[in-house]
Amino acid sequence: MERYDIAIIGTGPAGVSAALTAKNRNKRILLLGSRQMSEKVEKAHEIRNYPGLPFVKGEELAAAFRDQLDRMEIEITEKRIGAVYAMGDYFALQAGEEMPEAKAVILATGVASAKTLPGEEALLGRGVSYCATCDAPLYRGRTAAVIGYSPREESEAAFLSEVCSRVMYFPMYPEGPVLPDKVEVIREKPAEILKTEDGPTVVTAAGKYPADGVFVLREAVAPAQLVPGLETDGAHVKVNRRMETNLPGVFACGDITGTPYQYVKAAGEGNVAAISAAAYLDRRENRKE
Amino acid sequence: MVKKINGQEFAAEAMKAPVAVVDFNATWCGPCRMLAPVLEDISEKYEGKVSFFSVDVDEAPGLAMQYRVNSVPCLVLLKNGEFADQSVGFRPEPQLTAWIDSNLK
Ligand SMILES: Cc1cc2nc3c(=O)[nH]c(=O)nc-3n(C[C@H](O)[C@H](O)[C@H](O)COP(=O)(O)OP(=O)(O)OC[C@H]3O[C@@H](n4cnc5c(N)ncnc54)[C@H](O)[C@@H]3O)c2cc1C
Repeated sequence: MERYDIAIIGTGPAGVSAALTAKNRNKRILLLGSRQMSEKVEKAHEIRNYPGLPFVKGEELAAAFRDQLDRMEIEITEKRIGAVYAMGDYFALQAGEEMPEAKAVILATGVASAKTLPGEEALLGRGVSYCATCDAPLYRGRTAAVIGYSPREESEAAFLSEVCSRVMYFPMYPEGPVLPDKVEVIREKPAEILKTEDGPTVVTAAGKYPADGVFVLREAVAPAQLVPGLETDGAHVKVNRRMETNLPGVFACGDITGTPYQYVKAAGEGNVAAISAAAYLDRRENRKE
Repeated sequence: MVKKINGQEFAAEAMKAPVAVVDFNATWCGPCRMLAPVLEDISEKYEGKVSFFSVDVDEAPGLAMQYRVNSVPCLVLLKNGEFADQSVGFRPEPQLTAWIDSNLK
């Protein structure tokens, strides 16, 4: 399989800017995201502080990004990345069934708004899981509680109900849910996840629901979950002025590195991240020679 | 080398080693597949000091229960057969060697 020089995850202003600069430096890049670019760009009504584009509408800016990428012959690969693994001298990116590889990675995935529940992070891997299809077999014949943040997660709960003896489902949204009869739907808002003698327990205002495993399923992937081993500060990735993270070869830019959340800041950091990534690759090459 | 063992071999080998790192994994687990080559690399570095084993949780559900493995991959570190520490999920090599070193002190 071909190995890219730089994989750039995200097609907001940070990722687009990083891609343009990396391409300019003649690096082989893999840009992952969407041809819609970014919801946060598309949905902006009117942008007053993007230099050179006075009063540009969000959708116009998104179209300009697309056009500029096309003219620079940068392709957008429409894939969601589930995880980035540091394999030693390269990175493996989990993109559905595929596993593209790159020598360096730039994270430009924006900020995820989802806040974690109290107790959730402390119990991660010790009774709390984010992936039903990954960990379900460990709960064969046991009790699972599922906290689902969108109807998309119902299929995971249905899958669990084939393996577990009992499944409780806490929908965090008003509609539905549509689930097999075996699944008990509990319309109460989880306030925290507690470790008790009976195992991890979902606590709501009305009651306590002990289980063997608690699955917390939401669309947004926290950065530390996206890249195991990455040093974060809550929802943000820790970087220095060169946009380097604690993992050599991994860079981050845009909203994911912290406030202020601004287009130009994101684009500026994307530029820095690409230059740092290119320098990292050149240093590596020189060392080999 | 990381040696694949079953439930019986666990008692005979992993429990007898002065220091053992046991990788509890499963064939259906993506992160486990990524961790395996990283651990193989690490095992070379600790040759003669730490023994490395791999256990498929589907083949040894009893062991997985006993060591409270409720997410895979899960590394369990044993000292003279006694549970000393565990590390859950994929982690890059430098972090894993730091984890092992902190247990060797
Ligand atoms: C309505 C609105 C109006 C705003 N107005 C202004 C303004 O006037 N001026 C200003 O400066 N700022 C404004 N902002 C803030 C601005 O939108 C953000 O700061 C900016 O979009 C951040 O850029 P980014 O590239 O870091 O992330 P984003 O624009 O959030 O882009 C993230 C990208 O990553 C992709 N992605 C995420 N996870 C994955 C994954 N796992 N795999 C693959 N792709 C992934 C997403 O699909 C998206 O393409 C506004 C925001 C909103 C919502």
